[in-house]
Amino acid sequence: MTRSPATPTLAQGENARPGRAARSGLVGYGYWWWTVPALVLTGTVIYLATASGAFYAFTNWTGIGPYNFVGVSNFVKVFQTPQLLGALVNTVLLAVGFVVFTNLIGLGFALALNRTLKTRYLLRTLIFLPVVLSPVAVSFIWKFIFAYNGPLNQILGDVGLGSLRHNWLAVPKLALGCVLVVMVWQSIGFVSVVYLAGLATVPAELEEAAAIDGAGMWRRFRRITLPLIQPSLAIATTLTLIQGLRVFDQVMALTGGGPDNATQTLATEIYQQTFTYQEFGLGAAMALLLTVFILVFTVAQLALTRDRT
Amino acid sequence: MINNTGRRRRWAATAAVVALGGISLAACSSSGGGSGSGQEPQTITFAYSNPSGNEHYYQDAAAAYKKAHPGVAITMQSLPAESYAQAIATRIQGGNAPDVFQAESGSGQADSIQPFAKAGLLLPLTDPALKAELTPAGLSQFQYNGKIYAVSLGSAVNGIVYNDQLAKAAGVTLTANSTFSDVLQACAAAKAKGKSLFGLAGSAAPNTGILALEIATSAVYGADPNWDAQRTADTVKFATTPGWTATLNSIVQLYKAGCFQPGAQSAGFDALTNGSSRGQLFGFFAPSGAAHDISVASGGHVNLVALPFPAPSGQTYASVSSDTSVAGNAHTKSPKLVASFLAFLASPAGQKILSAGSGYFPVGTTNVSTLSAPYKPVAAMITSRQYRGFPTINWPNGKVYADLGSGVQGLLTGQETVPQVLQQMDSDWTTP
Repeated sequence: MTRSPATPTLAQGENARPGRAARSGLVGYGYWWWTVPALVLTGTVIYLATASGAFYAFTNWTGIGPYNFVGVSNFVKVFQTPQLLGALVNTVLLAVGFVVFTNLIGLGFALALNRTLKTRYLLRTLIFLPVVLSPVAVSFIWKFIFAYNGPLNQILGDVGLGSLRHNWLAVPKLALGCVLVVMVWQSIGFVSVVYLAGLATVPAELEEAAAIDGAGMWRRFRRITLPLIQPSLAIATTLTLIQGLRVFDQVMALTGGGPDNATQTLATEIYQQTFTYQEFGLGAAMALLLTVFILVFTVAQLALTRDRT
Repeated sequence: MINNTGRRRRWAATAAVVALGGISLAACSSSGGGSGSGQEPQTITFAYSNPSGNEHYYQDAAAAYKKAHPGVAITMQSLPAESYAQAIATRIQGGNAPDVFQAESGSGQADSIQPFAKAGLLLPLTDPALKAELTPAGLSQFQYNGKIYAVSLGSAVNGIVYNDQLAKAAGVTLTANSTFSDVLQACAAAKAKGKSLFGLAGSAAPNTGILALEIATSAVYGADPNWDAQRTADTVKFATTPGWTATLNSIVQLYKAGCFQPGAQSAGFDALTNGSSRGQLFGFFAPSGAAHDISVASGGHVNLVALPFPAPSGQTYASVSSDTSVAGNAHTKSPKLVASFLAFLASPAGQKILSAGSGYFPVGTTNVSTLSAPYKPVAAMITSRQYRGFPTINWPNGKVYADLGSGVQGLLTGQETVPQVLQQMDSDWTTP
């Protein structure tokens, strides 16, 4: 089978023009110094600020006034304090759960709404709707649903499943699960759209040919669809992983990190330690750890999902 | 290959860009320096915590000040109570604080004034009358390094805000003279009627924290009013003080006796409002101003009283404090206006307006016969000085109280034991 090139190649004449322009004077200079303002801005606002934050991670700064260098003691404290270590574990659990469930369900919806259904455009809109809502507002609504006297427990009681009623946000594992449910619920629409875009590039003829050759639904998905939507898979899993690792809004609105700090994540702990307790040094250390986490997990995840065809 | 002329032109262009950028930045920075007119803005913002939605006394005080000072505008910012301390602390630290804001006196809560004053984030108040006005409440809690940084909203009893009429109708009795055993019996009586004696916002650390401190007022500070000073001197610890252990054990006992509403562990402040308004619970833990708020909100149909929390053993003390305060932003563009407004709030005229609307009583009140109806059950205790202050004003940081609040929630959910909570508080106390 022959494959079309992914990007159109330039004709030789087209390829030559930039070279001529570079040699011809002022226009050529633009190729590098026009980027200076953007580079300076990016360097100052993002990388210099990040480096400053990293610097304070090695100090005992309280946010105002002088500070002393404390070496790596802030990092040691993170790994020696059960509450902070718990936040780290929660972050990883939520991130992994978020990637897995959001992508599985999102891909399922995308496959279901890709073709055939007459109402697919309406359903796509409905599934995407939660994405446009504010995460904080959504979380407060879910907090009401999960409340002890809330609709969820009432419905469970009404349908004869009273034994399944719980104080959802008071049991540590259930509370963490509730946070995950809200995160997944709100992001399924976004992930579905990413997969729908990928599925649109899968030629129907290929699947039809495979079906005629006797390939079943699962085999067609495994051998044809999945390889062809590999770029969408990489994008969706990368974005959800990053989103999962830096989860903040849903935790703050649903549980406030409770019960008794059982649902704290790195992001909420960074906020609490930095602004509530004025331990900027410790907060900076946790922020640096979160950055490294996101970097390592993302690179690993990209390596796993990269297109090897 | 680029010739020398081209290279020079390229560097000239680069230098021009850099110079242009530098001039722009310089222009930006110079344009921000000072208003030039010498007249400070006459509009200020005022943020406050809003637990019941009826904090109209701040508006009343602001309206009175505006009436006396034509041309002044005060923009009110009502913030949710559950996250108020964190929100205002974040804004103060982030340089985005309102001109005037509600805060706590002392140093032991996330929104306490002394750490912010130490960091130079609060406006020092120099009105000479303030010293005399705040002295009856304990001047030091409003000061840092000898300067005053906040004024008090008024004084309040931190206790059980209790619907006596409703409870009596259900055959439940609780008075200022009740013992801890009486409380447990009342819990059983209320439960038998399908009600709860107390409402507890278990997910709100300020609510679980205030419950613990109400009990500790008798269990710890009743016998030893200087316990905080001893803790600072490291001669006592939370974990080894029997009164603190008794305090937390009492809360577990109350929980097991069904004193709190179902689902209390994860409830928020809304559960207290809803439960009270529907008659499902008879009392909750809050500063006594809440009794006045609810009475006003119900149009006078619901009349609540303030009760002290009975001691687990021994004599009961009321918790009386003036810690709810109002402070000014050090970086306000209207420092004179802010200082003037805060001086007004602390003045007898300002205190009268605040107390009329909030249910707090003016700082320095000695004649308890003038106190409003909610204070009748505790009037004798105030007269005989059978009360203690609110401990957190002397605590070194906000972590101790925050971990007390979340620790109580952990006791109710079974996540922590009493020794674990107290050891954590000891650890927090020594946090720099």
